[in-house]
Amino acid sequence: MKKTLDKLLLGVCVILLVSPAISFFLWMLSLAFKNEVDNLAFPPVFIPSPPTFANFIKVFDSGPFFKYLLNSIVVSGLATGIALLIGVPAGYGIARLKAKKLLMVIMIARMTPAISFLIPLFTLFQALGLTGTLAPVIITHLVITVPITVYIVSGYFETLPNELEEAAVVDGCSPWQRFRHIALPLARPGITVAAILAFIFSWNNFIFGAVLAGRETRTLPVAIYNVLTFEQIAWGPLAAAALLVTLPVLLLTLVIQKEIVGGLTAGGVKGG
Amino acid sequence: MRKLSRPISPFIWFIVPAVIVIIAVIVFPWMFTLWMSLFDWKIGSVARFAGLSNFTELATNTRFLESIAHTLIFTAMAVAAPLVLGTAAALVFHQEFPMRGFLRGAFVLPMMATPVAIALVWVMMFHPQQGVLNYLLSLVGIGPSEWVYSPRLSIACLVLVDIWQWTPLVMLIVLGGMASLPADPFEAALMEGATRWQTFRYVTLPMLLPFILVAGVVRMIDALKTFDTIYVITQGGPGTASETINIYLYLQAFSFYQIGKSSAVVVVFFVLVVALSMLLFWLRERSKYYE
Amino acid sequence: MASVTLSGIEKHFGDTRVIKGVDIAIGDGEFAVFVGPSGCGKSTLLRMIAGLDDPAAGTIRIGERTVNGLPPKERGVSMVFQTYALYPHMTVRDNMGFGLMIAGTEPSTIGSKVAGAAKILGLDKLLDRLPRQLSGGQRQRVAMGRAMVRDPQVFLFDEPLSNLDAKLRVQMRTEIRALHQRLKTTSIYVTHDQIEAMTMADRIIVLRDGLVEQIGTPAHLYDNPCNTFVATFIGSPSMNLVAGKAQGTSATADAGGTLALSDHFAALGERRVVLGLRPEHLRVREAGAASGIPCTVKVVEFSGADTLLTCDAQGHMVQALVHDRLLVKAGDAVTLAIEPHLVHVFDEATQQRL
Repeated sequence: MKKTLDKLLLGVCVILLVSPAISFFLWMLSLAFKNEVDNLAFPPVFIPSPPTFANFIKVFDSGPFFKYLLNSIVVSGLATGIALLIGVPAGYGIARLKAKKLLMVIMIARMTPAISFLIPLFTLFQALGLTGTLAPVIITHLVITVPITVYIVSGYFETLPNELEEAAVVDGCSPWQRFRHIALPLARPGITVAAILAFIFSWNNFIFGAVLAGRETRTLPVAIYNVLTFEQIAWGPLAAAALLVTLPVLLLTLVIQKEIVGGLTAGGVKGG
Repeated sequence: MRKLSRPISPFIWFIVPAVIVIIAVIVFPWMFTLWMSLFDWKIGSVARFAGLSNFTELATNTRFLESIAHTLIFTAMAVAAPLVLGTAAALVFHQEFPMRGFLRGAFVLPMMATPVAIALVWVMMFHPQQGVLNYLLSLVGIGPSEWVYSPRLSIACLVLVDIWQWTPLVMLIVLGGMASLPADPFEAALMEGATRWQTFRYVTLPMLLPFILVAGVVRMIDALKTFDTIYVITQGGPGTASETINIYLYLQAFSFYQIGKSSAVVVVFFVLVVALSMLLFWLRERSKYYE
Repeated sequence: MASVTLSGIEKHFGDTRVIKGVDIAIGDGEFAVFVGPSGCGKSTLLRMIAGLDDPAAGTIRIGERTVNGLPPKERGVSMVFQTYALYPHMTVRDNMGFGLMIAGTEPSTIGSKVAGAAKILGLDKLLDRLPRQLSGGQRQRVAMGRAMVRDPQVFLFDEPLSNLDAKLRVQMRTEIRALHQRLKTTSIYVTHDQIEAMTMADRIIVLRDGLVEQIGTPAHLYDNPCNTFVATFIGSPSMNLVAGKAQGTSATADAGGTLALSDHFAALGERRVVLGLRPEHLRVREAGAASGIPCTVKVVEFSGADTLLTCDAQGHMVQALVHDRLLVKAGDAVTLAIEPHLVHVFDEATQQRL
């Protein structure tokens, strides 16, 4: 008897915990798929009947949505790619050197608000005449992608026992070979998590693009924000746009949530 | 490379590229900010050395001081509530139940989703006439609220969004801690006849405290830095009712182009963040009972 | 103080039957030891007595009460865990007093009980320390103190000395034994170490694969093991098992040599047997002696009080433990002889004692 009561209580708790998240996203879906009339109705209509793709079509039509999508992909892709190129070896070096101090610097980087990087970088890029290209955006996104890559990857390399590589050393491997042939393949799961998290946090970023990007070089989060302020737009397309922007992230999260949970609990990190 | 004869480890080379990038995009901007805080410089005009006058001016700047107050209030609420809810959530997700993996994934979505996109939907939900939140209130007989359009409530509404978004992160950290706790003190407590509440209060909670404090530090730093959601939902308004230091900073820098003044704000802000973090780190050290 | 009775206990983990029908009766005030190799089910049985697991079948009685289904607190038992299971964030004093505190006992009573137990266990100077500041032996004593203050009817020990180093283990064995003699509480002690069992138990329960092999006093199990498993498990170095053929009061070993058996086996007739010879009972005679097993000495291990000889009898290894300083060296040919009444005879097919 007590056992069934316990299970019931647990079920209620689980429902209470998960429903704010799920109902929010369901509402977002509802807003996106409702037509104009339903969106303005009060009391609100919950299930659009019939659901319509009109909002999405409007999003693609009004404004260079694909251009902004491309910008986001390029910026986040390159920022993540560069972060992997320099961050993975760095994580390995830090792990093998046991250089905790460098990790402290990264921790401090995390403590500072994004704007404190932006102001100087903004003045610099202004002086160099680069504002308006994607370059400044990509470079500043490195502030997000490099620290988290180094942090997660170094933690991962630290868990790889030294003995595996020592056997290679006895065989005459150079440090680079050790890294490339032994440590790197073994660390693939950790690198994957780091890459995905870095990509997600870069994709989500608003402020760097808001300050540094021109009309042509905006990333998606900046683009949809401007939609809200500069154009009188109905809720349907707005919700559709928001959904499109965050959908890749949501899908990525659901697919590899287990690994993300693992990567984040090992230190509790969040990107800028 | 023969490691034994060299005083410098070859692993240095692995780190060098990253160090260069970090110096370029993090250290250099920081030095620059520190330097600029001593100048009076608006973009487009000439910079003049101003010593510490930016800082003294801030000390008497009502708007800035109010922004500090707003920031502290926001942070206090945005840290306390997720700590409690997140720990409770960790207790629940520590149990076994069907579809736990999937449900945990769903629970985690808010913190991963694009903040701007989320904020836009919240804006629509907060709308006094057409927002769904007022509709839900009316279902339980409460009158419509102004939500973010009310100076009194705007910060609270922003806290609500923050809680919704970041409780999952606290849960993940505490859950990780729970998984690492040794199992046998709990068996011993069972043997000694402790009820579930007693076990939680005397055994689980004290043992979880270091992890909860880690979550607290992380949460506090993030709450202090919150920008996207506040900017999108209230822009610091109505008026300046929900203007936090970060919003004030953004306006100074990119609306008014006051580089000198905003650099000074950054320095003050950083000192505040570090001071509070030190406090929480110290608390955490004191709560550690393991070697 | 109470007796503990297990009747018809069975336990499954999934499809595996871990306990296959166990009946054990432990008397009031007895120090009983469950001993057996890993996986024999001894810890599982202890946990079922404690109330941490439930049997699939059978009843457990403590005193006159059937305790099946009762939570640990209501059974009147205390447990000392292998890993001590101390509360890492509480001082020694709080660790020991925790059970009393949550039961709502008066603080003054808690104080005096904790002080009393601390005095007996030599912990009175450590009461304000945290577990991480204690050595292994001290932590184990705190675990025992915690079990003691609740004045249980039965003490349960789950391999408490496994995590300690050898020297400490010997010392703690004596202390636990002395404690039992002082408190006289019924105790059930689980271990895989037969030396602990032999030195500490009033009675030993030997378990294998979820079944009771034999129950008896240490002396009884040493003198009359009921099968080859118990015979080789009890006693160190283990008993030598030599296959052979018995004929009345004489036996021929497959590895060579003849042994005289006691008259008790006269009616045996002819059958295949396993002869059990304890190393400490074997005597070294010159090669070619009339009775005994001829073999060649392979290894001589001198340890001060004794010498352990490992000998090769036609490929079969036999060990002898002798107290006298002998002048044998590796490579010598000897005969190992034994008094007839010290030879254990087991049926080869059933491995049971004859």
